[in-house]
Amino acid sequence: MKLSRLIMLPVLALAMMAGPAAADKLKIGFIYPSPVGDVGWAAELDTGRKAIEAHFGDKVETVFVENVPEGPDAQRIMNQMAATGAKMIMLGSFGYMNDGLRLAQQRPDMTFIHASGYKLADNFGNFQSRNYESSYVVGMAAGYVTKSDTVGIVAAYAIPEVVGMINTFTLGLQRTNPDATVKVVWLNSWFNPSKAQESARSLMAQDADVIYSLYQDTPSVVTVAEEEGVYVINTSSDMKAYAPKMLLASQIADWRSYFIEQVQATIDGNFKGTAFWGGMADDTVDVRSFSSDLTSDQQAELNKVMDSIRSGAFHPLTGPVVDQDGTERLAAGVSIADNDMLGINWLVKGVETRIPQ
Amino acid sequence: MLEVFVFIISGTLAASTPLIYAAMGELVCEKSGMLNLGIEGMMATGAAAGFVLVAITGSHSVGFFGGMICAMGLSLIYAILTVLLNANQVASGLATGILGLGVSSAIGKKYEGTTVTPLADLPLGPLSDIPVLGESIFQLDAMVYLSILLVVAVWYVINRTKLGLLIRAIGEAPEYAHSQGLPVRMVRMCCVAFGGAMAGIGGAYLSTAYTPLWAEGMIAGRGWIVVALTVFGTWVVPRVAFGAYLFGVISLLELSIQAFGVNLPSQILSALPYVITILMLAAISRNVTFIRMNSPASLGQSFSP
Amino acid sequence: MVKFTLEPRKEQSLLAPIVVTSLALLLTMLGGTILFMIYGVPPLKGLRAIFIEPLLSTYGIGEVLLKMAPLLLVAQGLAIGFRAGVWNIGAEGQLILGAIAASAVAIYFDGSTSIFLLPGMILAGMFAGIAWASIAAFLRTTFNANEILVTFMLTSVALQLLYYLVTGPMRDPMGFNFPQSITFGYHAMFPILIEGTRFNASIFMGIFATVGCWLFVKRSLVGYKLSVGGLAPRAAIYAGFSQKGAVWLALLIGGGAAGLAGVGEVSGPLGMLQRNVSPGYGYAAIIVAMLGGLNPIGIIFSSALMALIYVGGDFARLSVQLPNAVTGIFQGMLLTFYLGCSLLLTSRIRLKRSDAVASEGEA
Repeated sequence: MKLSRLIMLPVLALAMMAGPAAADKLKIGFIYPSPVGDVGWAAELDTGRKAIEAHFGDKVETVFVENVPEGPDAQRIMNQMAATGAKMIMLGSFGYMNDGLRLAQQRPDMTFIHASGYKLADNFGNFQSRNYESSYVVGMAAGYVTKSDTVGIVAAYAIPEVVGMINTFTLGLQRTNPDATVKVVWLNSWFNPSKAQESARSLMAQDADVIYSLYQDTPSVVTVAEEEGVYVINTSSDMKAYAPKMLLASQIADWRSYFIEQVQATIDGNFKGTAFWGGMADDTVDVRSFSSDLTSDQQAELNKVMDSIRSGAFHPLTGPVVDQDGTERLAAGVSIADNDMLGINWLVKGVETRIPQ
Repeated sequence: MLEVFVFIISGTLAASTPLIYAAMGELVCEKSGMLNLGIEGMMATGAAAGFVLVAITGSHSVGFFGGMICAMGLSLIYAILTVLLNANQVASGLATGILGLGVSSAIGKKYEGTTVTPLADLPLGPLSDIPVLGESIFQLDAMVYLSILLVVAVWYVINRTKLGLLIRAIGEAPEYAHSQGLPVRMVRMCCVAFGGAMAGIGGAYLSTAYTPLWAEGMIAGRGWIVVALTVFGTWVVPRVAFGAYLFGVISLLELSIQAFGVNLPSQILSALPYVITILMLAAISRNVTFIRMNSPASLGQSFSP
Repeated sequence: MVKFTLEPRKEQSLLAPIVVTSLALLLTMLGGTILFMIYGVPPLKGLRAIFIEPLLSTYGIGEVLLKMAPLLLVAQGLAIGFRAGVWNIGAEGQLILGAIAASAVAIYFDGSTSIFLLPGMILAGMFAGIAWASIAAFLRTTFNANEILVTFMLTSVALQLLYYLVTGPMRDPMGFNFPQSITFGYHAMFPILIEGTRFNASIFMGIFATVGCWLFVKRSLVGYKLSVGGLAPRAAIYAGFSQKGAVWLALLIGGGAAGLAGVGEVSGPLGMLQRNVSPGYGYAAIIVAMLGGLNPIGIIFSSALMALIYVGGDFARLSVQLPNAVTGIFQGMLLTFYLGCSLLLTSRIRLKRSDAVASEGEA
């Protein structure tokens, strides 16, 4: 016993010294793939940054660089942040993953959180939102209001997160409107407002009377829907201000608690790189600004479903689920496992467009 | 199916409008012998300035006017470099283009991600009630109709007036024109300014009418398409206009092709306009005599008296 | 009334290019100062951030050298063409093709530890760039199609080809549908030259290109003919050198250089093939070539300067919170002022009295 105590003391002393000095400010860097506007993906991340500043006050110093394309330039910016004293970096886009991981391996004294990725390290964590939960709910809402039984989706890339959202959206749609179908336009860009608008218009020309703007960082799709008198749902930020009449609902993500938690862990010296998957249950994901066009019965049903998702009683992607080719992917009563959700690359029956090969 | 048809026609007219403005401007510019490759930057400047002005003043007229002036200013830098200081036209165009892109990004920075009310549609009375045709052609905004008038006006001036003759003469043989006492440099600078102004209007249309917002890179290569269009149309006004509409149609088809059940990778469709332009360029340029008859002989060459 | 006229210089002054570039740089800094004042950044701090800060750390110098490598390489290749009056605006597309070809080799031979892997990728990239440029050369010599437009259009086609490949055939099957290839193995990458930086051996391609171009231009008959051909096509034909040959040679050299730069990117800082392969190096190289006076030695300096502005601009975004438009504005200003001042390279300003002009007219 005495020996172990002898060993413990220096180890304890070392551990205490290893943490960042309490007196120094923690410098945190944020890198966004698109410009920070009033609304959008980058805006939601920036809200998290401002929350960190508000919560920790003098103990932190934040810097951010926006509009950083994925590639060597991103690498330079994060390396420069590291070189100028940043001890923690928030990487705001999937494409920063490999560069971020490389830097994390070179700098074990720093911590990283990475959005929408799948790689981890001791000092490198990632975070995702269970947006597929809220997609189900807005899908139901779309089913309530569509008269043409066609819904158009303007989507960016066919990454699993997006594919999962399209799937649960369609399932929700079919729950309230079994005949409805979904058409998708793949933009292949996180930020192309003009093309997003043209895509929305082309979907409307193909009879879609509800448009789902999936991860478009600007309100361009929302405004064109308002103009044309077509219902619209969007992700990333509440866009009611841009479409007061026609906004059906907005899916939002709230990273504030997660960010604050991770910063606290860094300050305390016990940061561990984990995969955070926030959902409705922990308030990371939510639906806002339901349209007043929904009847009170419909709204009540939506609230009921949201509650059941929150409590864990209901998982939106539960069988029987059949994919576009007719193969049964999930047996009755079986919910998709988290791991399978992370890599999902098939679309459910009812989606008329295929994933680009 | 009919809906898609209407969408393609009205969409093409709207999508091609910025191209029409900028192409008519560049056509006049090139007719006088000046090859301006900085159109992309000028359109971007017009777009940014136009958007900011509409956001501030709420007036589209102010926006278009301001966008026009700013782009014209940029083109005057090009004009000074090439006409007065005899610098290489290709390099000068590129330099002012890059400058324009940077300036536009700086102007639009604060307004990125915001939106303004788009230019209202101007239904042409009873014409707009015609089924199908009415919806597709006669319910567009004022700038679309003005662009068509512009094409007619440019055609008339170039081909039927003394001014047009002057411009063409200067484009063909500037030394001879100078020896006859014609104001070569003044005319060229004015043509460049006109080109810049039109590019500015085209850009402003994009940001205040077509997709009412500003985003960096929203011009997306249209300025370069415009340069190609003048060659594609062999410097003949109606052909250049046709090229602009053709280009608009193809870029819209890319989005609607799904409706017709065609399953091509979207990248093939995105590349299609460029491939077609290259093929047409090859086909047209082959006929050297034809080219010589229509292209300004002194295009791209510096002139110093 | 006094009139300014331009009188061509009788011989090329040695001092003139340096004076012009320095003048252009000075004017750019002045313009930059105005820009900083508009943004509320203390001008000296801003200028320091862009021009000095990158040079203060080993990492920064490494970044500048890293950025310089592709610019130097491509500009040397393009300059050969520009001197001959062949305007290759599509270096960006040729670079992309080079990147695609090199990546294809890396993917196909993934896991190989052969020392021939990297050289194989280099050769593949070079030939891909040459092949892409030869389309433009063919269309120009056979159909008389303007190479400015064709090379530019081909860049857009190259981009679509890249997007298609990284979304489909060349996509990493374990990459969750994201449009990028596998990460390249160690043997497919250029070795790092300075520890702690990203500066890698691809600079040697640029150095070889510089030496090669210098020899080509100054010492070889072909190089001489190529310059003469551009300046005075008729004279060149009299000298027995075909215009068509000049076009092919110029475009292929430019294409090959750009293709090599593409290899440098995917086997260097990128380490894979993705949608964003080049931040506009193909276009920036045109500026570098012009700023260097189309001279192999001048291009060394202009590529270093441009690289500094690129890196400095990025650093300035962090240190003084300048928007990313700053880099583009500085580059545009630099070239604009250079072009404006370059008149001094070839002409002298002379004052002429108006009565002298009138009397000339009478006589």
